[in-house]
Amino acid sequence: MIDFSRIQKELQDCGRDNDSSGIRVSPKADDLTRLTGTIPGPIGTPYEGGTFQIDITMPEGYPFEPPKMQFSTKVWHPNISSQSGAICLDILKDQWSPALTLKTALVSIQALLSAPEPKDPQDAVVAEQYMKNYQVFVSTARYWTESFAKKSSLEEKVKKLVEMGFGEAQVRSAIESSGGDENLALEKLCSG
Amino acid sequence: MISDSITNASATAAPSARDFGKKKRTNRSAKLKQSKLGLRREQWLSQVAMIHKGDKEEMESNRRTGSEKPDQRDRPVENFDGQGREEENNSGGTDRHESFIESLSNSPNSILSGMNSIPNFSSSSSSGSGGSCSGNITEEEDADDDGCLDDWEAIADALAADDEKHEKENPPESCQERENIKQSASPTDLISGSDVAVRDAKPDCQRTMSRKQKSNQAWRPDDKLRPQGLPNLEKQCSFPVMNLHFSSVKVPSSCPICYEDLDLTDSNFLPCPCGFRLCLFCHKTICDGDGRCPGCRKPYERNTVKVEANVQGGGLTIRLARSSSMFCRS
Repeated sequence: MIDFSRIQKELQDCGRDNDSSGIRVSPKADDLTRLTGTIPGPIGTPYEGGTFQIDITMPEGYPFEPPKMQFSTKVWHPNISSQSGAICLDILKDQWSPALTLKTALVSIQALLSAPEPKDPQDAVVAEQYMKNYQVFVSTARYWTESFAKKSSLEEKVKKLVEMGFGEAQVRSAIESSGGDENLALEKLCSG
Repeated sequence: MISDSITNASATAAPSARDFGKKKRTNRSAKLKQSKLGLRREQWLSQVAMIHKGDKEEMESNRRTGSEKPDQRDRPVENFDGQGREEENNSGGTDRHESFIESLSNSPNSILSGMNSIPNFSSSSSSGSGGSCSGNITEEEDADDDGCLDDWEAIADALAADDEKHEKENPPESCQERENIKQSASPTDLISGSDVAVRDAKPDCQRTMSRKQKSNQAWRPDDKLRPQGLPNLEKQCSFPVMNLHFSSVKVPSSCPICYEDLDLTDSNFLPCPCGFRLCLFCHKTICDGDGRCPGCRKPYERNTVKVEANVQGGGLTIRLARSSSMFCRS
């Protein structure tokens, strides 16, 4: 049985002070078992300027079990799977404490973005790049942030795609059908 | 000087003490059957009676020579104790009052002690109407260590009369008697009540009265302060106060795990030395799982918890035993 009253209160607490941290938690559905967390990329890192979305699934035993968290935004980070968005963070596994909250967990993920642990990697390719070729890692991470974590406005996307040579009406419908994802819309446009 | 006052006091106190002794024997015969100290006291009584037969005749010479010091050293203890007993019997109203206060002071601690206070009150009130001493006797007999309690009273009286320095040695002694005090706060209080009545009963006995006042001085801070000085009583009496203190500083108003409000038991519950507090339900859930403190992630020390549980359980069983015996009696 999930402690919904606690989740409810956590959501209220997050809503109260999201201005200072930029961290938000909002329910995906009405049942409060699936939530979406949003963290801004830490300043001074390749993730600066990005806004990262995290899918949160509340387990039955919450808060005695950790919430399941996974990046839905693609991130280039040694401890985050570039494919699935799975996060390698101890407090989401064996070091979870019931005293932690969704907010503190998201803060920890934010801290993980600014302090990668390549010796305990989730994504071995990224970790190897981080260790062997840090500059390439930084530029890749920044590119991914620019590509996936920055919410450009609809008009910017339309303008970009129109500049590529597609018709504006075509572009708008492609963006709409791909859920606002610029790259997905481009794929659709290219495939016809 | 001290020995002289003892001689005088005991000499003047002697006749009335014998009177008290007669009443006492009839009153206490049932009560002292099971008590070792009671038997000893009977011996003392007979000694005193024997001595007093000679005392009236030899009172003058006795006062001059002070030849019976060994016996008289026993006698003050006996006298005070006897008077204490006598007044204990007479002070049913005081008893009711005291026990009610005791029940009040106990009541915040738990529901059990709150329940305890009810039979306690009713029994002592019934003892006030019926036999004046029934409440006291049965209460003392209910406690297994009745003899120790009497012994403790006697020792404390003797100490107060003998030397104030012994007061410093008293706390270690009384440490053994914590349980007695904890259980029988009202009998202890009765002594102070008895002292008041002693003055009424023996206004002519100046020496003894001054002695009693001395012992009052020794007792009064004890009656009020000693319970607070004793760890167990401190725990019992001042826990709510401490809670208030802590609640303003430290104790969260709600459980950090389930966000429900902490009740009094929860806010008394400190399962981990790191100071992380949580409600008993969440603690139970955690202990059913990995059993680590949410605050410091260290495993809950089972021993500490056990000891706490034992202490609490002990207190509960004591109170239960007492209250159940109260129920049986009433």
